[in-house]
Amino acid sequence: MSSLLRGEEMCLAQLFLQSGSAYDCISELGELGLAEFRDLNPSVNTFQRKHVNEIKKCEEMERILGYLLREIKKADISLPERDVNPVAPLPKHIMAIMEQLQRLEVELGEVTRNKEKLQKNLLELIEYTHMLHVTRSFVQRTCEREPLQVQYEEFPFLEKDTVMDYNSMQRLGAKLGFISGLIQRVKIEAFERMLWRVCKGYTILSYSEVEEYLEDPETGEPTKRMVFLISYWGDQIGQKVKKICDCYHCHLYPYPTSNDERNDVVEGLKTRIQDLHTVLHRTEDYLRQVSIKASESVYTWVIQVKKIKAIYYILNLCSFDVTNKCLIAEVWCPVNDIPTLRRALEDGSRKSGATVPSFVNRIPTSDTPPTLFRTNKFTSGFQNIVDAYGVGTYREVNPAPFTIITFPFLFAVMFGDLGHGLIMALFAFWMVLYENNRKLKNTRNEIWNTFFEGRYIILMMGLFSIYTGLIYNDCFSKSLNIFGSGWSVKAMFTAEVWKPEDLTGNKFLTLDPNITGVFKGPYPLGIDPIWNLASNRLTFLNSYKMKMSVILGVIHMSFGVILSTYNHLHFRKKYNLYLVFLPELLFLLCLFGYLVFMIFYKWLVFSAKDSRNAPSILIHFINMFLMQGDTVSPLYPGQAGLQVFLVVIAVLSVPVLLLGKPIYLYWVHNGSHRLGMYRGYERVRRNSEEELYLMRAHDMEEGSSHSDLSTSTEHKKEEFDFADEFLHQAIHTIEYCLGCVSNTASYLRLWALSLAHAQLSEVLWAMVMRVGLRTDTRIGVLFLVPVFGLFAVLTVSILLIMESLSAFLHALRLHWVEFQNKFYGLPVSKDILC
Amino acid sequence: MAEFSFNVDHGYLEGLVRGMKAGILTQTDYNNLAQCDTLDDMKLHLQSTDYGKLLSSSDENLTVSLVDHKLRENLVTEFSCLRSNALPFLSTFLDYITYSYMIDNVVMLITGALKQRDVSELLPRCHPLGAFEQMAAVGIARTPTELYTAILVDTPLAQFFQDAVSESNLDEMEAEILRNKLYKAYLESFHSLCKTIGGATKETMCPVLEFEADRRAFIITVNSFGTDLSGADRSALYPSCGKLHPEGLQLLAKAEHHEQVKAVADCYPDYKIIFDDPVPGSDFKTLEDRFFEREVKLNTLAFLQQFHFGVFYAYIRLKEQESRNIVWIAECVTQRQKSKIHNYIPIFQGTN
Repeated sequence: MSSLLRGEEMCLAQLFLQSGSAYDCISELGELGLAEFRDLNPSVNTFQRKHVNEIKKCEEMERILGYLLREIKKADISLPERDVNPVAPLPKHIMAIMEQLQRLEVELGEVTRNKEKLQKNLLELIEYTHMLHVTRSFVQRTCEREPLQVQYEEFPFLEKDTVMDYNSMQRLGAKLGFISGLIQRVKIEAFERMLWRVCKGYTILSYSEVEEYLEDPETGEPTKRMVFLISYWGDQIGQKVKKICDCYHCHLYPYPTSNDERNDVVEGLKTRIQDLHTVLHRTEDYLRQVSIKASESVYTWVIQVKKIKAIYYILNLCSFDVTNKCLIAEVWCPVNDIPTLRRALEDGSRKSGATVPSFVNRIPTSDTPPTLFRTNKFTSGFQNIVDAYGVGTYREVNPAPFTIITFPFLFAVMFGDLGHGLIMALFAFWMVLYENNRKLKNTRNEIWNTFFEGRYIILMMGLFSIYTGLIYNDCFSKSLNIFGSGWSVKAMFTAEVWKPEDLTGNKFLTLDPNITGVFKGPYPLGIDPIWNLASNRLTFLNSYKMKMSVILGVIHMSFGVILSTYNHLHFRKKYNLYLVFLPELLFLLCLFGYLVFMIFYKWLVFSAKDSRNAPSILIHFINMFLMQGDTVSPLYPGQAGLQVFLVVIAVLSVPVLLLGKPIYLYWVHNGSHRLGMYRGYERVRRNSEEELYLMRAHDMEEGSSHSDLSTSTEHKKEEFDFADEFLHQAIHTIEYCLGCVSNTASYLRLWALSLAHAQLSEVLWAMVMRVGLRTDTRIGVLFLVPVFGLFAVLTVSILLIMESLSAFLHALRLHWVEFQNKFYGLPVSKDILC
Repeated sequence: MAEFSFNVDHGYLEGLVRGMKAGILTQTDYNNLAQCDTLDDMKLHLQSTDYGKLLSSSDENLTVSLVDHKLRENLVTEFSCLRSNALPFLSTFLDYITYSYMIDNVVMLITGALKQRDVSELLPRCHPLGAFEQMAAVGIARTPTELYTAILVDTPLAQFFQDAVSESNLDEMEAEILRNKLYKAYLESFHSLCKTIGGATKETMCPVLEFEADRRAFIITVNSFGTDLSGADRSALYPSCGKLHPEGLQLLAKAEHHEQVKAVADCYPDYKIIFDDPVPGSDFKTLEDRFFEREVKLNTLAFLQQFHFGVFYAYIRLKEQESRNIVWIAECVTQRQKSKIHNYIPIFQGTN
């Protein structure tokens, strides 16, 4: 518990790792996760470090693994998901893994390339058959149409040629040429246009569509293709046509000149396609086998490579000592864990069979250590809430242990409903029960993960909501009458204040608690259920919840201010106790603490009998500031005097807060020069002697590398700047004093949200459930089922999810802004939620 | 008023481009890169920048041309992401950026065809930003007219061909003249587009384009010394949207040697510094580098304003300069020319 309140005690330790066993030692430490390594060669570039080659090798392996994973995914083989956590392999085994990976890569790459080549071949053959199939009809058509075209022929000198039939044209061979092939359907128009423009009509293009979808070899998507046939005159034009075909990425195939040839080609193609199919199947089978083989261990490899890379990354942070053949690493580590660290090092040395053991050495330092909070699955959620505001400096007080209670409590004040709390608690309890279920744990759904991570927070919130629901006596907007109401209507009749005809004549009747027997005493737990029937219920609850919010707020804030003493005492700043903490507390308590006192006083002193004379606290509180105690009758004798006294104290504490600390520090640094000289000199000397001794010890231990160590232990003289200090204190004072007013008002959100929640659930009941309950019993039974469904859905979606999220946010803000800024020392942007 | 509704259509992309701008290498990155001894070291360092795994994902051996190729690929990926999300006006604007690359590609293909190179060998060397469908057929054309009527008439470049149509045979000189004519038409058209868009786009883009026009005028003049290009021919190639128009261009047309060009530049304070003799003791920089430096400076200014398209142009240009810098450093590293390694042109000095 103390470690959660303060954070773990840390120390700087030096590890001396024998170069032979350094890898194993770091591996052991990595498995434990106990130490934070410091960079001992910050001036060295990443690519100039010692183990950069090993890291490069790891990256190469990662690249291969990425390739393998892609291939395995492409082959649709599911990876065996196991919770394996293999340790990093020995350095000598790395090469073996590397070789294995490279072999797999080469093998896989070759097979894939083969497969692609085969597929491309196959595609070409299929295209060719399609082309032959389609162009057959072209030729037949051209033969039929030839005579008709004569009239429209634009080139009269060719007339003779065109009049001749297809076969006679072919005899003119040198002049007439054919180019045929396939082109993507989208490109055909542009293709035709360019053909026309470039060749000025000396070509005839005929085309038609292939019915089947053919796979595009580059993208793998099925596309529609067109088969075309260009007949042209002359070689020059032929070259141009070929260039244009290249430009549009046409697939060209030789055009058979006669029908017999065509039939031969088609026959040949058929057999070749069949052969290719069988070969392709074999290749695919083999590819699958290789992929399956790779998939078995790929998951382990991924983790192993990651670990190796991390180890070398850490080794790069260590400084290397040539003379002693050992690596020096500096780590931050919890003091309590040093024995564990030592044992890990021993294990590592033993594993690698080193003759000289590696060892740990604590070294003193003036640097601020990193903050470490040890959390478990219960506290980690709450710690996260605190850390989101800011991680405290080393050994600063950590509000997380208090947040465990205050956070769910403030949430529940806003979410007070027994029924809703119960549902929420059950939901969270279910998650807690099945928290080890892998399906729940490993889901990738981000929203679900958020809920799952916060399951203990939700559980606590639910439990506290049950409690506040009991206090508010609210369960789905209805009250539970467990102990029997303290009010009696019958007594009004026995005392003969009401007569039976009053009941029919009046819409509203008021119970008078002053009549004996009407009010028998307070309800044992929370609000009396009779208020659920009263028409002035809201007025009563508002007054009650508003006062409760102010009381809770002032207590919460005072607690925050009191927590700051932990920091002042721990960081040896006793003057802060008198010059900051005391005025702060006085200011808060004299003004708002007194308000709380008045609330309690009024509750205790005024009962039902003299409630008519009860004064308004608001008026009294305003008068307190105006110092006009005589206009209204005092609550108690001597009230005016006390109030003046409190206001004076509160006002006086402001200048103390504003000026006290800067002036005191100024006095310490400048004014007390003569006084403190002797002591100061003494202290500095002792310090430097200690350092000298330490440095000498280091020199003996580690030879040459003392230069950067001495810089880290160098004593820095603190500069004191009065203006700076004053400015900070002025900002703090203004923020605190104004903050006290606005923060107190801010706690009224407890009332507002709780009111909103109660009203919403009541509206839901009145508008949905009551409609179902009011209908005639016969239809009502049937009608009630959908109505209840609607009620349940709305309850869960609006009241449980939406309302709880809003209450959660407001509780979060109350902790971050109103509570934690009272004692957090670090500068964080404070307007996160303002 | 356009600023009011700018974010409705283009806000996402502007945000995107500003985010990508934050990934432009800083001075520290350059310093680290300049320390590298091998390309592998550079790869390692580039991993810690926004380029990430760009270079490490390939299993081939690292060469300068591969680096260049990958950087270019990266730029094209980014650009096509912007282009495919762009809505009208911005999409036209982005298309205009690609036209300059298309012009360069066309001219390169023509000169390649004149040297009897194979198209398949030339195509990979074309800038992918300026790729278009009919690109491979460019080599067929014999004259600019043919080029226009047969091949380029369907491409967006057709609009720039008004002045360039001629029946003279395409040789290397003619190709170069064609490039400059196309560029002139392109720059003038782009300039007027930016003017019609108006607002901050006009304010940021017009100076950049004017500078571009003037740079071309200067470079044409300097390059024409010693060739048989007459002054009148030259003046037909000068883009007329720059600051030099009209007096400066007339003077440039009459210029016969370098000193006269310098005298023209002296009349314009912006260009005076570029043509000034280097201060003794400082590094010698070529005229080209000085122009690049000035261009980078103008482009960085685009990021000072919001709600305009200039950032897109500026980003592409800066990224291109960055690629040139990286390639320069990579060349120096592989050729062990450590002394020249600092001759890159830094972008966002010190401020980032």
